[in-house]
Amino acid sequence: MSRVNTVLGPIPAEELGFVAVHEHIGYGMPGSELDTRWWKTPEERYGETVPKLRRFHDYGGGTFVDVTGICNGRDVDYYKSLSAKTGVHIVACTGFVGGDTALPFFARASVDYLVRQFVHEITVGIGTTGSRAGVIKVGVSRGGRMTDLDKRIYRAAARAALATGVPILTHLAIDAENAIAIFHEEGLPLDRVLFGHADDGVNAEKTRDTWIADQGGRVGFDTFGYETELEDPPFWARPRKERLDHFLRFVRQGHLPRVLASADANCSPLGWPGVKGHTVNYLFEDLIPDLRAAGLGESEIRTIFVDNPADFLTIKN
Amino acid sequence: MTANSNTVNTVLGPVHADELGIVAVHEALLSVVPGAEHAFDAAIDRAEVFATLAAKLTDFRDKGGRTIVDSTGMFHGRDVRLYESLSRATGVHIVASTGMGPEEMLGGYFLTPQTNPPTPWPAEKFADLFTREVTEGMVVPRVERRGAAGLVATAASRGGMTPTDESLFRGAARSALHTGVPLSVRFGDDAVHDLGVVLDEKLPAGRVVVGGLDRADAVAAGAPFRIARLGAYVALDNVGADDAEHITDKERAALVAELVAAGHADRVLLSGNATGVARGLPGRDLPYSHVLTNFVPLLLAQGVSDQDVHHLLVDNPRDLLTVR
Repeated sequence: MSRVNTVLGPIPAEELGFVAVHEHIGYGMPGSELDTRWWKTPEERYGETVPKLRRFHDYGGGTFVDVTGICNGRDVDYYKSLSAKTGVHIVACTGFVGGDTALPFFARASVDYLVRQFVHEITVGIGTTGSRAGVIKVGVSRGGRMTDLDKRIYRAAARAALATGVPILTHLAIDAENAIAIFHEEGLPLDRVLFGHADDGVNAEKTRDTWIADQGGRVGFDTFGYETELEDPPFWARPRKERLDHFLRFVRQGHLPRVLASADANCSPLGWPGVKGHTVNYLFEDLIPDLRAAGLGESEIRTIFVDNPADFLTIKN
Repeated sequence: MTANSNTVNTVLGPVHADELGIVAVHEALLSVVPGAEHAFDAAIDRAEVFATLAAKLTDFRDKGGRTIVDSTGMFHGRDVRLYESLSRATGVHIVASTGMGPEEMLGGYFLTPQTNPPTPWPAEKFADLFTREVTEGMVVPRVERRGAAGLVATAASRGGMTPTDESLFRGAARSALHTGVPLSVRFGDDAVHDLGVVLDEKLPAGRVVVGGLDRADAVAAGAPFRIARLGAYVALDNVGADDAEHITDKERAALVAELVAAGHADRVLLSGNATGVARGLPGRDLPYSHVLTNFVPLLLAQGVSDQDVHHLLVDNPRDLLTVR
């Protein structure tokens, strides 16, 4: 039986449809909730978010994977209401965006405790919501190298993935040697890991995307739309054509079965200004037309946005 | 807040300073290690937390206590609305704090912000964050502001003040200077050095309390006397702690007697640093009334006068907490 955890309960993978695999309803660094400059009323938050999800649905989007980690403003009750009212499946995560977004309680925790936290959120539920996490988020802290805490989180994630069958998504694919060493030590097949942000402007040059794919890992080109051409681009932006060429080169090298794509957009950011004009719908409005113009066929597009994510997200146990 | 008032900021609003009575100046009500609110095995039942805290506050009141200061700052479980209900239900004045620290207890928003490079927050930004908790009210995160914070609390890392700790201390000092509420600090490895950082911000020493001066290392270094001579308040606020890190109550009572004999009766504060309800850490399960029931008799036995005890428990905290 194919099964994926969404915030409204498990669904068959066949129902996922078009998947945006690395997105955020709203992300904020831990502590940003104390700073009123970022606060929004519920009216504003729904007002910014619902139209984007509705448009995503209208374009044919099926599933929105929210990879906002445990201390980053993850708000599962809110996601449940958004999903129920817009018809978009929402998958929530357990885990952390990086060691530097894990608050002291978790920063001090043992690997074993982190495993139990992740497994509980995957098999029992997140907090009091009853919703089960569908993916595990891990990541590399700012600075470019995995910290000891990052490594503990990766190891705990690997064990939780093996115990539950849920896959792992990473924030950043730099320092992949250390990540893959941990996954090998724990015996986790690398096709259960999506190494994300292989395409971002800061790290693309340092990311061994083909090496990761050759080892069997999945590779995420999932910061599509963060472009230097934007009015006010973030520091991780990249020229549009450069990212697209990178992606097409990767696909044409034979890595289509290993590739996933997403926009990493915030519907309504929580602790930062966000990036004006960038939404999950970049995938439909810009990326897919670009891919067609570059000669990719419908079946390849389907592989990237439907089949690969379905295979990745399906609980394997 | 109005300058030069005779009031103290409590969670139910300003209270005339003379109404404070006996004060426990450094305690914790709900103490939650940042992040523990998300722990799968640490559910917080508000009704149960309320009942536990209400019982402890009622015991404190029954033993003569009138005001309790929650010195945990803005990011360690502070729950302003719960404290309002507790104060109404028990009749105990509750003074809550803004501030945070040490560095290890901060969220990534302050340490690795989404900028390139991810430079930690400077003093001025901390000052602004803390000041607005006094001038505009304490935050219920992403929901609303409530009453004004009654003090700014921060701490330095045990291994010694880090650059971010220093930003916290300087920001907290500027906030205290700007708003008139006092500053409560817990030192790292050198109390005199850490006090020096806030004095360097031109905050008068009489607006600062240095806590934890009954730590064995501080006593060995003579820090309680040195801090008192600099004009700051000396908090012996681990009364009841019975561990290797601190001196014993008997030694603590002797230290108080020495400080009083040296002319510092107007600079000493006492408290238990008890944890009402703890999540994510063991906490110190001690009645808030321990100073009154167990420690005051030791002071009297040391020859400290009733009048001096009154200074320590009533006059000194009143003078410290009054908004200047």
